[in-house]
Amino acid sequence: MKSKSHILVVDDEPNVLVTYRLILQQQGYAVSAALSSEEARKALSREDIDLLLCDLSLEKQENGFDVIDFARKKDPHMPAVLLTGYATQEANDHAGELGIPVLFKPIDIKELLETISGLLSVGREL
Amino acid sequence: MASPQMRVRSDTPDLTGRNRRSALRLLGMERSDEIFPVLLEEIVALGHPRALVTRVDFETSEITPIASLNYPKNLVQRYRSSLFAVETPQVRILHSQEPEFVAGRGKKSSGTYYYPLIYRNRTACWEAERARGRKCVAVENFHCRLKLQLQEQVCGICDMRAYSAMVITEVAPGTTPAEIGELRALIELANRYLSRLFKVEHYHNRMVDMETIITQMQTVMESMTDPVILTDPQHRVITQNKAAERYFRLPEDVSEGRVRAVELNNLLFSAALSSMAVSGNDSSRDMTLVDAIEGDEVLFEAVSAPSFAPDGRRTGMVSVLRDVTDLRRADEELRANYEKLRQAEEVVRQDRDRLNLVIENVGDPIVVCDRDAKVALLDPRAQELLGSEKTRTPLHIRNQAILDAYITQFTYSFSDRESAPIQLTSPETGLDVEYDARSGKIYDERGLVAYTVTVLRDLTAVRRLEQMKLERRMLEMEKFAAAGRLAGTIAHEVNNPMEAIKNCIFLLTDQMKPEAGPVYDILKAETERVARIVRQMLGLYRNTEQVGNFDVNSVVEDTLLLFARQLDRAGVHVKKELSVLPPALGSADQIRQVLSNLVVNAKDSMSGGGILALRTRLIRAPGLRDMIRIVVADSGSGISEHVLDTMFEPFMTTKGERGTGLGLWIVKGIIENHGGKLRVRSRVGKGTVFAIELPAAQ
Repeated sequence: MKSKSHILVVDDEPNVLVTYRLILQQQGYAVSAALSSEEARKALSREDIDLLLCDLSLEKQENGFDVIDFARKKDPHMPAVLLTGYATQEANDHAGELGIPVLFKPIDIKELLETISGLLSVGREL
Repeated sequence: MASPQMRVRSDTPDLTGRNRRSALRLLGMERSDEIFPVLLEEIVALGHPRALVTRVDFETSEITPIASLNYPKNLVQRYRSSLFAVETPQVRILHSQEPEFVAGRGKKSSGTYYYPLIYRNRTACWEAERARGRKCVAVENFHCRLKLQLQEQVCGICDMRAYSAMVITEVAPGTTPAEIGELRALIELANRYLSRLFKVEHYHNRMVDMETIITQMQTVMESMTDPVILTDPQHRVITQNKAAERYFRLPEDVSEGRVRAVELNNLLFSAALSSMAVSGNDSSRDMTLVDAIEGDEVLFEAVSAPSFAPDGRRTGMVSVLRDVTDLRRADEELRANYEKLRQAEEVVRQDRDRLNLVIENVGDPIVVCDRDAKVALLDPRAQELLGSEKTRTPLHIRNQAILDAYITQFTYSFSDRESAPIQLTSPETGLDVEYDARSGKIYDERGLVAYTVTVLRDLTAVRRLEQMKLERRMLEMEKFAAAGRLAGTIAHEVNNPMEAIKNCIFLLTDQMKPEAGPVYDILKAETERVARIVRQMLGLYRNTEQVGNFDVNSVVEDTLLLFARQLDRAGVHVKKELSVLPPALGSADQIRQVLSNLVVNAKDSMSGGGILALRTRLIRAPGLRDMIRIVVADSGSGISEHVLDTMFEPFMTTKGERGTGLGLWIVKGIIENHGGKLRVRSRVGKGTVFAIELPAAQ
């Protein structure tokens, strides 16, 4: 049993990425940060990640689903949260099918933290 | 009347001796049938053996002996003859009217003297004299001008039938011509007396006849139920029938009222007679008399004609009064009815004129057809479309065919009214024109179709207007969408920096120096405001999908449920009136956003609590699409007029820092995107009503 849950944050905006990481670290999580899907995949391969916090739209036509798919190949039950400024209906529906909560920016931090702790507690019970 | 003195003549033969005695004897006879026996006696007294008299019956033309002296019976019968037996001396002499002596064949008699008698006078009778210049049969006979025939032996003046007879005397032998002359004078004298007696008897007969006629006339008069009155030239009553007495004769049981009535009637009647006499010939006039017995007023029509004597003198008036009370009443009623009819006709005529004026000024083509769908009436505009007999072109005929098909179908259909789009071609421009044909039926009293009326409304202008409206709306929607996209894009770009700032502020919580606290609070509040704006702008960008049928009532319920706690806390009482509705077409999310905005605005306007009413209703109008109306009404502070003008523009807010100024702009945009309508009514201090209309799904 780990003392700290490990969260991977993926966002192509460096300042956003930094602030999320700081907030989550402040909340006592172990945090890895990735600026691109490629970095994210590296981190996922290298580290043991408990939860994925991923921006939907990433650089180079890639999106959060690609990262989540990659992670779930390794761990099919990997909890994930999608963050987005704007999501198409298809994206929304797709997230719903995969059981992934979608949070819209500007994100209410309390809501974000509640969602994360909720997912992690469920994951721990499994 | 002529006096007898004037008729004295002095040419009477001087009678002497025996002749004088005979003349006096004859003169003593008072009846015509007494003359002949006396004459025969006097002839025999002259010394002649015997004599007889035969008479002509004009009706049978027979000659019959009527008196004889000393003749044996069988001999008398030998003189019975007929007017046509001209070979006998008797008949020949009758026809010639010349006395003749026929010598005897035997010794016993020397001969027979035939003397014809006929009604004759030297001078005309009084009646003939009065008739002046007309022929009197007596005078004519005196001059022997007439034939012995029935039709000629009746007087044209006094109507008297003449007599004709023959005195046949067997003359004594040896009679001298002087003695024959004596005989002749005697017979002539007798004939003169006879003629006078005949005339007198004729007068007597006439008098008897007249009495009979008078009696008959009186019976006729009495039997008439209408009053008949004969008056003299002074309008005094000569005679009247019973019916007239009722009105004009003073009754015996004299009551004052009846006397007055009769006097009044008489007065009225003679006044009417006088005026009629003045006015001239036959005339009639109406007269109201009082029934002396019943006391009723009776309306009479008096017809009066003057009566004249044979010589043309006016002898008075004959008046017949006809009771026309009922007739006049019927006449008046008839007149009144006629007047009513005339007025009704006038009303109908005015109505028709008015209707014609209306038809002429409607400006749309109007076609009236009969029960067989054949054209009965066209207004000038319809005439232009369908042409007239002479000016008909193929286009006119085509229009007619199209219209015929429609009207025939309508005439035989079961509907009273119908409207249908019809495409005709303008014969002037050759362009197709779309018409809205509206038809109605006129029924006869049996409930069968008598006529159909079709009004063609030219939809060109309407269509053009609709097109313009549509284009304008498309443009507005395009603008709105573009603005939305721009807003969304900007929001998206602003979103990430916002995210970082917001996260930083969160990280700085509780890490500020106490004096920087207020600054930190401002930073936090303003950042949150920007975040709200960005969120709303993104919402606009986000909520464009999920269009379909949805239930407006559920959306209303959802929205109210979402805000139930907030409203309750604000002291707002909610009233819901939701009708059964068909589904609406559009995005439920967007409508929820609209209702949320309106409910929040309403709540904000009722700081001290109030009533929020939400109503839904289906609006149906013939020929138009069904609409769903949603009303959001509050009893809040209301919206001032200058705000009403600009409230749907973006970034207009009355809420200061709490508002984004985008709510109503978005509301309007969404409703217009749905092809709906948004109206607002508001009174400051009273409240605000928003009414939304959305098209129902078809």
